[in-house]
Amino acid sequence: MIHVDRKACPLTDSALRTVGLTKRYGRLMAVDDLTLEVAAGEVFGFLGPNGAGKSTTIRMLLGLIRPTAGRASVVGVDAADVTRAHQVLAYVPGDVALWPHLTGAEILHLLARIGPGTDLAYQDELIERFVLDPSKPARTYSTGNRQKVALVAAFATRAPLLVLDEPTSGLDPLMEREFRTAVTQARDRGQTVFLSSHQLAEVQAICDRVGILRAGRLVEVASVARLRALQRAEVTVAFTGTPPALSAVPGVETVEAIGDGQLRFFLTGPPAPALSVLAEADVTALTVREPSLEEIFLDYYGAEAAR
Amino acid sequence: MTNFAFTLRAAPGQAISRLALRQIRRGGLLVLAFAAAMPAIVVGGYDSMMSDPAAVASLDALAGNPAIRTLFGDPVALGEAGGFTVWRVGTVVAVVLGVWSTLATTRITRGEEDAGRWGVLLAGRVRLRDVVGRHVVVVALVPLAAGLAAATALSSAGPDRAGAAVYGAGLAALGLFAVAVATLAAQIFPARAAATGVTIAVLGAGLLARMIGDGLTALGWLRWLSPFGLIELSAPYAGNHPLPLLILLTAAILVYGAALAAADRRDVGGGLTAPATGRPARLRLLATVEAFAVRRMLAPLAGWSAGVSAYFLLIGITSISVTDFLADNAAFVDAAAQAGFTELDRVEGFTAAIFALLALPVGAFTAVRMAAFVAAEFDRRLIMLAAQPLSRLRLLTAELTATIGGALVLVTSAAIATWVGVTVVGGDFALSAALQGTWNTLPIVLLSAGAAILATGIAPGAVTAFGCLPATGGFLLKVTADSAAAPTWVANLSPFAHLAPVPLAAVDWRGALVMTGLAGVLTTTGAAAYRRRDLRG
Repeated sequence: MIHVDRKACPLTDSALRTVGLTKRYGRLMAVDDLTLEVAAGEVFGFLGPNGAGKSTTIRMLLGLIRPTAGRASVVGVDAADVTRAHQVLAYVPGDVALWPHLTGAEILHLLARIGPGTDLAYQDELIERFVLDPSKPARTYSTGNRQKVALVAAFATRAPLLVLDEPTSGLDPLMEREFRTAVTQARDRGQTVFLSSHQLAEVQAICDRVGILRAGRLVEVASVARLRALQRAEVTVAFTGTPPALSAVPGVETVEAIGDGQLRFFLTGPPAPALSVLAEADVTALTVREPSLEEIFLDYYGAEAAR
Repeated sequence: MTNFAFTLRAAPGQAISRLALRQIRRGGLLVLAFAAAMPAIVVGGYDSMMSDPAAVASLDALAGNPAIRTLFGDPVALGEAGGFTVWRVGTVVAVVLGVWSTLATTRITRGEEDAGRWGVLLAGRVRLRDVVGRHVVVVALVPLAAGLAAATALSSAGPDRAGAAVYGAGLAALGLFAVAVATLAAQIFPARAAATGVTIAVLGAGLLARMIGDGLTALGWLRWLSPFGLIELSAPYAGNHPLPLLILLTAAILVYGAALAAADRRDVGGGLTAPATGRPARLRLLATVEAFAVRRMLAPLAGWSAGVSAYFLLIGITSISVTDFLADNAAFVDAAAQAGFTELDRVEGFTAAIFALLALPVGAFTAVRMAAFVAAEFDRRLIMLAAQPLSRLRLLTAELTATIGGALVLVTSAAIATWVGVTVVGGDFALSAALQGTWNTLPIVLLSAGAAILATGIAPGAVTAFGCLPATGGFLLKVTADSAAAPTWVANLSPFAHLAPVPLAAVDWRGALVMTGLAGVLTTTGAAAYRRRDLRG
């Protein structure tokens, strides 16, 4: 049983907040006027294609680089005050580099001693669950194993905020499942998780809300359910007799026959008009498939790219 | 409308050579310029210096300075511009070329392989052996060009063209030898630091062997085993013997052949020696970031102090015979005294002249350690520490404190080694005097550390260069200014102009305090910039 320490994570405060956060490298605008708030206890997915500015944003949150304008705070502490801010967060970098001569156990020991406080029993449990051999020198670790070291170190802390930058890019499916379990347990303990990711299925499975970043700008922040509602659902109907006349119904797009007595169309918005048309036909089967986050994501960027 | 299809004709070998060239061209050109400029400056100043009796006297003193003699070898042909120049700059240029060749070779071969960037190259249709070979041949162009440039610069000095050619050939052969040894080490060891360390140790042992061979007649044969000794034995302007150079060149070719054979027998990313696959955790010095800085320094410090101690032990052991010899040559000692090197016929005077040189390796040590700190930032190892509740200033201070501590260990071990050496041969030399002498160099060491910190803040790509400037740069400036009869203020820019010969004389506290204060200003400025700048990587 994991002990839940709610005191470490005041629910009244936001866990993470940026106001007008901006980073410019010469003429390149890496992050543009980013304003974002993540509530305590939330699992927040930070999405965006390569080069959208996700890592740059995270590096500003950690005080590793300085914003050109704007500011960021973590659990109420100014992100630039790293001595205090890093007491309340744990971080897993996207590309984990370790001192090659130290073994996994030595690195975990070092990070536990200088970090924000570590639950050593839980750390041992995580080492087992992630099947990490801590006796090996870091030089011999694969990308996934280096990532495991950083993940074990971060999840074993009692920091109220976990900042994870594409933490599963090198993990196999089994380890990805362990990762999801660890995130769920962190949320159960009251920890906030800020997760940047490309693995949309993973974000869909574990995140409460997502923010979508494109070319340095935040283009959408919503719950996964709401994002889906905004997007079109795929409806398939089977019928006998005359096909229902759907083409003129508001909210219905791309009606196509997919075989004898079957139709497929996309539906956006309230379904009532389409349902009343279908009621008139002799419908024998109806399936509604909500779009996956991947489809939403591709829709989003496909539409943006087409402009 | 016609469509044209363009296909890039694949030439993988050439592409790899061009890649290698891109990685070394800047440093290579600098070394080339250095190898050409040093002889040119000294040759240019030779005639005007020889027409000035005071300058001739100071040259005689300089040649008599035992510190200079152990570093530069026996002056054999000072009577002509070429011979004088070879003696004056030969060792320095050879050391710089050898060290650069080593660093460049391990950096663009094992370093690139370590960083995982060779995977892409080797997925193409070139073999590992060819990728190694192509890179090494490109690095080898630099010593060849440096030898040619140095010979060209020297041939303007006088009629002895053969002397210039022998000197240039020797320089090139030494550079090629360093490249070959570094290539072999990079095949044997699966880590760049180990390959670099072993090669530098081989070159250092060679330099030490030449010094022993120069100092002790009975061990003169040692020079045949040393690349630096072989260059000396080729005697440019004083005999022009080709045989030692042929030996050196043959050795380089054999070592290079062994390296290619080793490349055929190993895995990409691995070496001939396999790293340990597992071991019990060693948790000492991992409790704080300060302790961790010490832990990372211990292995390099052991190497540096072994080298420094060996050199100073040698100085201690030879000091009695050198001072006895000097005591029998009163004219020599008088000339040296006029130039400021007083009482060379006493152990205190002799060691005082040598101790000043200690600032060079110890200053370089501080520069290299701070460069390693920045390297950890560039390859993103530092991020894991920087994400902990530690201020930037604390990270930097931990590294600086460990480095200064390491420097103290180095200067102290040099004093102890000298004292042991003198005592073993029955000399009379107090340990406290030795300690005073070596600790006296600390202001220059602090200046080096300060310059390295300044670079860490404002020019993180150039930490080694900045850090080596006060000691190595200052030493070269003083030597060049003295040799080229430059105005006094030029030589006074060098920190070595403000270093008293301790233990013979008392510490120059004014100079020491000014240098320490300046080091403080550099450190504070660098630390302030480091706190504010973006971390790289």
